[in-house]
Amino acid sequence: MAKPPKKAPDRHYDFKGLNIAFAWSSLALLIVTVWMMFADYAKPWKRFQAEFRDRERQALLAEARTERETINQDKLQQLEQDIASEEQALAEQRGEIRDLEKQRTGFAKKVYAADADSRQTKSLLDTARYTYDVAVQSGVAERVTKARTTVDELAAQLVENRIRLEQLIEAREGTEESLEAKRAGLAAAEKRLEALNSGVDSLNDRIANLDKKIDYFVLNAPVMDFVQPSLKIEQVILSGLYQNINFTNVDRVDRCVTCHIAAPRSGFDGEEWEEPLRSHPRLDLYLSAASPHPYTKFGCTTCHQGLDRATDFSRAGHTPENEHQREEWIRKWGWKPQKFLDTPILPGRYTEAGCVECHADDVWTPNSQLQDVGLDLVNRFGCFTCHVIDYPALTDLPRPGPTLRRVASKTNPAWAYRWIEAPRDFHPSTWMPHFFYQENIEGELNLERQKAEIASVVAYIWDNSERPTYPDPPAGDVASGKALYESVGCEGCHVLDPQAKRDQFYPVFNRMNGPNLVRTGSKVSAGWLYAWIKDPKKYYANTRMPSLRLTDQEAADLTAFLMSSRDPKFEGLSMPSVDPEVRDALALDYLQANQTIEQSQASLEGMDDHARDVYLGGLTIRKYGCFGCHELDGFDDAKPIGVELTEEGSKPVHQFDFGHVHEVAYRSDRLTPAAETEQSKADESGHSVESAQSTDAPADSTTVRHIEHTRADWMFTKLMRPRVWDQGKERVKNYGELYRMPDFGMTQREAEAVLVNVLGFTRESVLAHRKAGQGPEAAAVAEGRKLVTWYNCQGCHLIEDRGHAIATAIEDVGLLPPNLAAEGARVQGDWLFGYLHDPGSVTMRPWLGTRMPTFGFTDEQVNTMVAYFSNREGRETFLSQPERPSERSLTVGKQAFEMLQCAKCHPAGPSVAVAGTSSAELAPSLLLARERLRHDWVPDWILDPQSWIAGTKMPANFPPQQDGSYMSPLPFGIDAPMWRGQKDRMLRQFGTEPELKEFLADADQVAVALRDHIWWNLDR
Amino acid sequence: MVKNRSFVTLMLTLVALAVVATGCGGGGAGGGGEQKAETAAPEPAPAAQPAGPTGTVTGTVSYTNGDPDTQIKMDADPVCASLHPEAIETETVIAEGGKLANAFVYVKSGLTGSFSPPDSAQTLDQKGCRYFPHVSGIQVGQKLVIKNSDPTLHNVHALPKNNQEFNQGQPFQNMELEKTFDTAEVMVRFKCDVHPWMGAYMGVLDHPFFAVSAVDGSFTIDGLPPGEYALEAWHETLGSRSATVTVASDTVSAASFEFAPAG
Repeated sequence: MAKPPKKAPDRHYDFKGLNIAFAWSSLALLIVTVWMMFADYAKPWKRFQAEFRDRERQALLAEARTERETINQDKLQQLEQDIASEEQALAEQRGEIRDLEKQRTGFAKKVYAADADSRQTKSLLDTARYTYDVAVQSGVAERVTKARTTVDELAAQLVENRIRLEQLIEAREGTEESLEAKRAGLAAAEKRLEALNSGVDSLNDRIANLDKKIDYFVLNAPVMDFVQPSLKIEQVILSGLYQNINFTNVDRVDRCVTCHIAAPRSGFDGEEWEEPLRSHPRLDLYLSAASPHPYTKFGCTTCHQGLDRATDFSRAGHTPENEHQREEWIRKWGWKPQKFLDTPILPGRYTEAGCVECHADDVWTPNSQLQDVGLDLVNRFGCFTCHVIDYPALTDLPRPGPTLRRVASKTNPAWAYRWIEAPRDFHPSTWMPHFFYQENIEGELNLERQKAEIASVVAYIWDNSERPTYPDPPAGDVASGKALYESVGCEGCHVLDPQAKRDQFYPVFNRMNGPNLVRTGSKVSAGWLYAWIKDPKKYYANTRMPSLRLTDQEAADLTAFLMSSRDPKFEGLSMPSVDPEVRDALALDYLQANQTIEQSQASLEGMDDHARDVYLGGLTIRKYGCFGCHELDGFDDAKPIGVELTEEGSKPVHQFDFGHVHEVAYRSDRLTPAAETEQSKADESGHSVESAQSTDAPADSTTVRHIEHTRADWMFTKLMRPRVWDQGKERVKNYGELYRMPDFGMTQREAEAVLVNVLGFTRESVLAHRKAGQGPEAAAVAEGRKLVTWYNCQGCHLIEDRGHAIATAIEDVGLLPPNLAAEGARVQGDWLFGYLHDPGSVTMRPWLGTRMPTFGFTDEQVNTMVAYFSNREGRETFLSQPERPSERSLTVGKQAFEMLQCAKCHPAGPSVAVAGTSSAELAPSLLLARERLRHDWVPDWILDPQSWIAGTKMPANFPPQQDGSYMSPLPFGIDAPMWRGQKDRMLRQFGTEPELKEFLADADQVAVALRDHIWWNLDR
Repeated sequence: MVKNRSFVTLMLTLVALAVVATGCGGGGAGGGGEQKAETAAPEPAPAAQPAGPTGTVTGTVSYTNGDPDTQIKMDADPVCASLHPEAIETETVIAEGGKLANAFVYVKSGLTGSFSPPDSAQTLDQKGCRYFPHVSGIQVGQKLVIKNSDPTLHNVHALPKNNQEFNQGQPFQNMELEKTFDTAEVMVRFKCDVHPWMGAYMGVLDHPFFAVSAVDGSFTIDGLPPGEYALEAWHETLGSRSATVTVASDTVSAASFEFAPAG
């Protein structure tokens, strides 16, 4: 007998060994599974939510405690005593109450029985009626009579039943009322106690919601938390605001509030609340339901950028503000930079870049601090002339610089040469940048090249310039000219100050709209200046400079005054000598681009000296893009020379040329002193600083900063040191290949304001209908704002809460040009149309020294303005004339006009409108009202002028009352002897005196009557 | 200008010396005061004294090298002109014999605690097309009654910086208007847009320790708790002057201010 084999022959493996291996791997799998579940369960955001829940509960407990303390203890005791005594009183009447209750129960039973009786009778009656019908059908008279008798009897019984039922119900209600009356005192006291405790009670309810009871632990337990956990990812889906993921646009799914749980809620802004458990600092503008950007519609990443779906600190794209914060984050949260995230969260100081994508249809972003100014700077610096920036606010704009077509009659070539060399030497605050003598073109040869380029540019301009002649102006008086300069309104757009600084922003900003007028005498010829200020459009049709309708003498005085500002350093200049070889070499370079070396030599030989200058000049102008800002012959076909910036904020960081530069030195006087930045320490200013100088260091001291490889840091460096990326590349780049971006002399404040906008010029990520200011009204307003900005209306006027820049030059508030708040609600479109075309036709405010200038607007521009003002106020642009009102209204209006002494300030008839003879120079003439003002606006204005224009000289004659109505003062004065005549005249329109007084006491009717008087009674 | 400034400095130095001198004198008097206190001890304390001991500050406001005031022309409103058959002078600088009236003297700092406003109202009257009083003080929350005593239109236009601006017309004689201020502010200017020469100033304070200098330049602030205070005298065209004063209970401390023409 053969022994069975130890091993089955078909098994080639070891059971035991396998079991062990299997056991171990199962264990490992179990551990990994548990680990995975734990890692999934212990997400950091849960910690924040749990912590917030605890802390909110603590805060509520503390609040409830203080709330309890604020409850007036005496009052509480009093109430409790009241309740006790009421209960006592009730107890004493116990017997009586018991009787009443017994009575009520008795009545209730009887009501029930009576009701049943009544119902039974009614059903019997229905049956009897049927029987009667059947009897009539049968035709047997006896049956009919009998049936009728039954019906009659039952009907009578039903009435009886009903009377009894009603009596019983009344009796029951009577007892109920007397019971309630006995208990009323107690009920009232209890209600008062409840009201007293309501604050604490509602807090207690909220605390109870946050208490961690058994359900909290069960619902949030591992594995169980798939049901309905209270700690969960909070997200909001934002349709129309999309994120580009792998070339596909998907709606944003914003999850920031998962950790920033308190952000959309108010009340978590004390010092003890730190991010992420803190309220948003501007809930009035963002996140709260009442704000223009509610959380459910806009989320967080729409403005802040970052990865919308992330619930992990690093992956969300948090960007540290500075070195200190970076280290802290690495230590605390294990922060890692996100190499593959194109849109990390914007650094705090550039958050306003997030406004641009939705708001760039409009030139102003309400409530923005930096972005607004930056957009204005982009406009004034003329960035859009070299860089296409395809946003409505920055397209279709005229050239920002003056024309050069007739410049030969304005100044001389040597001055122009000196100016182009270094504009800021002449006008430290000019918008014109420095193209020459920059850091990437140093060395003797380059110096000669630049001299040749500048001289050739001047030669080209002069060669192409017309030469109208300007005779010398009549003799003028400097002192009168100065007085005129200070009063007529020049200072709305100009300063005359060698120390003026550009980076003071608003409101001084508006006064930088025109050139700083210092040293004018060393720049232009007197004859040109005289002709220019008399009619600027004659010299340059597209100029923004308006005509102030100066008389010959005024213009002569002003010319004399402006020409008196001179600087000998810029007079008697001569053109420097240029090395012809260097010039020829430059010209040859250009020629060789399109010709063989031999041909280009021949072409050059064919030109004389002047022709060579002009040839090189034309190409140099093309090279630097001068034609972008200045009107010049021969460049109609020229394209903008710079990189398009429409999507610059989305350009991947690796596409920016950081060259070989790792750190860069800035002139200390261009940096914002550390004390002025929000962070108090210099090393917290975002760019890591290696050697900070004290703020009052000399102008030539420098501060070195490390350059981060971020979009913002590249842009900042580019704006502050435009040519720095050529450092170390001098050997490999030809003269013509070097960076050409000019130096605007920006300060840190300016550069940051500009870059906030460029950072915001991102790839389209918002559907059109989700952008700000959509619809025809908003479009009309946006168009108008563009014009208002371009013509600098806010230099003189206050429009949309900004402007009155001239107030820095005119001290007396009463002499400021009009506040145009509510202008669209105030004046008629037709009138405004005429006025804007010809402001000289009417003098509305004779006391003002400033004159509304004539801008020479086109009809289209004026229509844009008129539509802007009316749409801004939500009014129809054009109105029909109203119907004539009742005689009574006209009479009361006339008398009230006299009693309120309106004519003390308002010229109301031709006889008093002689300037200077009376105090009636304080307010606009009312003779203009009918053509000028809106019929519906006048009574509103009369009732409450301050609500329309804060600070107006027009007094409130109808004091506002608590309930929002207005009190008429007329009943107070009507019985005074001095107004007897007025009273009598008014009485004729009314039956009785009480009726008149009732009318006069109604402020609304009186205001309407005053308007009617102004409209229909005044002589014109 | 420079000359003028050095002159002012000289005057201020002199005044400072004078203050030191009177201060020393005061100290001497204080020494005597102790003796007096013994004799005065039986006298009952003044009944109107608030809780706790208090002291008084008095002094004068003087003005050197003053220019004469110009006259107001009221022709623009015939009603106003008819109320003044004789020419009247402006109220901007009223100085007789080197003493300055209408300077607002108040405790600028050094006070602790809060002071509830009095029940009585402060009045601002428009009379003869002028404001009465021209310079005054009021407490935060105290009622201000603005009255028009003229048979012509006035508008009272307050131009505060920290409080709510208002501009109220009062077309009829004897009309009254009540207002209060919420925030301390030195000074609130009032003007009448109808009559440009009309102006008034009111100091709004959260305590009752202020005074307006009289025609002889004198002022008195009493009821002050003992302590050291910074005083300021304010004048509508001449600017402000400061002084510090130490107040002891039941004594009278001195403080003086010296103004010179502005500029």
